[in-house]
Amino acid sequence: MALLLKTHYKLAKASIKENRTRSFLTCLGIAIGVASIIMILSLTGSISNLVKSEIGGIGNDLVVVRPSSTKDSITSVVEELTSANSFQNSNLSISDVDTIKKIPNVVAAAPIAISNNTIITEKNTINSVTILGTNLDFTSIEPLSIRYGAFLTEANEEKSIVLGHTLSLALFNTINSTIGKTVTIMGEKYMIVGVLDKVDKTVSFNNVDYDNAAIMDIDNLEKATGSVQIQQINIKAANTDSLPELKKNIIASLTEQKHGDTNFSVTYGDDITHPAGSLFNIISGMLALVAGISLIVGGIGVMNIMLVSVAERTHEIGVRKAVGASGGNILMQFLFEALILSILGGLLGMVLGYFFAFLLSTITPFAPYISWKIIVITILTVIMIGILFGIYPAIKAANKDSIESLKHYR
Amino acid sequence: MEQKVSENTLIELKGLTKRYGYGDTESFALKDFDLSVKRGEFIMIMGPSGCGKTTLLDIIGLLDRATHGDYYLNGENVASISAHRQAKLRAKKIGFIFQNFNLIDDLPIIENVSLPLVYSGYTKTARLKKASAALKRFHLEEREYYLPYQLSGGQQQRVSIARAIVSDPEIILADEPTGNLDSRSSHIVMEELRAIHEEGNTIIMVTHNPALTVYATRVINMLDGHIDTDIKTVSDANLPQPISVKIKKKQDDFTSLTENNSKPTKKRKKSRRKK
Repeated sequence: MALLLKTHYKLAKASIKENRTRSFLTCLGIAIGVASIIMILSLTGSISNLVKSEIGGIGNDLVVVRPSSTKDSITSVVEELTSANSFQNSNLSISDVDTIKKIPNVVAAAPIAISNNTIITEKNTINSVTILGTNLDFTSIEPLSIRYGAFLTEANEEKSIVLGHTLSLALFNTINSTIGKTVTIMGEKYMIVGVLDKVDKTVSFNNVDYDNAAIMDIDNLEKATGSVQIQQINIKAANTDSLPELKKNIIASLTEQKHGDTNFSVTYGDDITHPAGSLFNIISGMLALVAGISLIVGGIGVMNIMLVSVAERTHEIGVRKAVGASGGNILMQFLFEALILSILGGLLGMVLGYFFAFLLSTITPFAPYISWKIIVITILTVIMIGILFGIYPAIKAANKDSIESLKHYR
Repeated sequence: MEQKVSENTLIELKGLTKRYGYGDTESFALKDFDLSVKRGEFIMIMGPSGCGKTTLLDIIGLLDRATHGDYYLNGENVASISAHRQAKLRAKKIGFIFQNFNLIDDLPIIENVSLPLVYSGYTKTARLKKASAALKRFHLEEREYYLPYQLSGGQQQRVSIARAIVSDPEIILADEPTGNLDSRSSHIVMEELRAIHEEGNTIIMVTHNPALTVYATRVINMLDGHIDTDIKTVSDANLPQPISVKIKKKQDDFTSLTENNSKPTKKRKKSRRKK
C-alpha cells in the first residue's frame, strides 16, 4: 500500500511537471488565498501580542473594570463603530472608584474618562483633542515617563494639565518650553505642568493614544464638560494570587453600590486585551472571510484543472485499467495530483504571506507573527481544499469505463 | 486422470451471454457461448465484424462482464467478482495486446512496459529490472527511454507485447495485433508471438487475416455470437507447457515409474520440429 502511495505521488509529480505553467497558475490561485489568510492571522497575532506585552509591562496585578453593554457583542461593536465616543453610556461613576479603593488588597484605582474637546492656545486651536480624565493613582498603575515637568500631584491638581508629546508639538511647536504655559478648554484655563515622553504605541488596552492626548484630573474634567463617561477603571492589586478573590469582592461591592446593577465587567490577565481588540477581531474576521472566499475560488481552479487533466488523460486511464489498475488506484492517482497542487499552493502562499507581512512590518509597528498554530492550520486547510475539490474529478476518473476510454484518442 | 484435465484447463466459459440494449433495441454480442481453453493453446478467433469477437476478448480479459453465464479462470468463477478483484486479476494473470498498441504517450517505453507491475506491488527497481529484461528479449534494450512516438509501428507493438508478458500472465489476449502493421512488421510480431507460445504461454488472438492461422493450434470461426467452426490443428497432448508445469509433470512421471509416459514427451518435440 505504502509502495503504491509512493508511486501515486511520483506519477502526480510527473504530471504536474509536464504541465508546468498550468500547474503554477493553479497553485497561484490557492497561494493568493493562503497568503491573505496568513497576512491577516499574522497581523492579528502581532497586535494581540503588542497589547499583551503592554500589560506584561504594567504587571500581572492589573484588574480592569469596564462598563458592559447589555446588548450582545456584535451590536455593541456596531455601536462602537457608529458613535464618536466608544463608551457613550457608561454606568461607572467617580464614586465607584472610591468604593473600589476601600476594598482590601487594592493598592491603587484610576478611572479613565475620555472626552473630545477643542484646545485653544494663544497661537493655535486644535479641535477634537482626546482629553483623558483620571486621578493621581494613574501613574502608579501605568508607568508613563515624563519628558519635562511632572505628572499631576496633589499640590497642582487644580487647573493643571499634562500634554502628550505630539500634542505639545502641535500646539506650541516645541516640547521643552511648554511648561508653565496655559491652554483654554471650554473657557477654563489650565496650566501645563508636564509633557509626556513619546510613547509611540498605536494599540493600548486603554484605547488611548497618549501622544495625542491631554491628561487632567477627572474632577476638573467633570466640572468643565458637565459629565464624564468613565470607560474603564484600572486597579492595581496588592498581589497576583488574590486576583480571583479580588474580582469577586469588586463585583460584590459595586453591585451593592449600584443597587443591583451588574452591567459592568471585571477582568484581569489576558482577558483585558479582549474589548480593545473586539472591533479589530470583527474586522480581521471579515477580512479572513474574504480571504476564505478567495481560497474557495482557488479550490475551484484546482477542480477545473483536474477535470481538464482527467479528460485529457482518458486514454491513459483506459490503458492503466486494462493493465490492472483498479478504480481506487486511479482515484488515488488523481487525488494525489490535486493534493500536491493545493499543498504546493499553500506553501507558496505561506512564503508570500509572510513576505508581505514582513514588508508591512517595515512601515507599521506590527512585527510578523509566526506560530506553529498558523502553519498547521494553513496546511490542514489546503489539504482539506485539495481533497474537497480533488475528489470529484478523481471519482470521475475512477468511474471511467475502461473499454470506452481505450477508444478515446487525443 | 480427471484431475489432470481440470488442471490443464485454463478457461471455461459456460452459457456466456452478453446483451446490449433492452426491448426493441436488444441485441446479443454473445449468446450461450461455451468455450474451454487449455493451457498452452494458441487460439485464433475469426469472423465477420460484429460477431462478438472483441466482446468475447474483453470478457475473458475481465474488462467487461457478461450479462449472464459462468466464467471459470483457473477453476475460480470470476463472472461476478468485484471490480477491485477483477483489476487485481488483470494485473497478475492477463496480458493485453491491442491493435493500436495503447501505449501511454508521455511515458518512456520502459515505464510503459513496467505498468502492469505497478499494480501488482513491485518496487520501482524490481519493475525496471523486469521491464528491461522483457525489452531485451524483443531487441529494444537500446530504446528503453524512447517515447512511444519515436518508435515505428512494429517496434511499438513489440513494446506492447513486452508489456503483456512482463508480469508472467496466465493468458495473453491479442486483439488484431497486426491490424495496424505492414506485412514485414506483422511477420516479426507473429514470430515473437509464436516464440512466446512455444514457451508454454496461452494466447487468444482475434484476427481478420486468414493467412495468420498457420501460427495457431486452434482456429475458431464465430458467427452472430456463437461458435461456427472450431478446428484444432494440434492435439491437446502436444501443446507446449510452461516450464513449471513440465517439471511437475516429470515429477509425476517419476513417481508413477511408468516408462510409457516419458515417450510421448519425445514424440511431442519431434512433431513440433516437423511443423
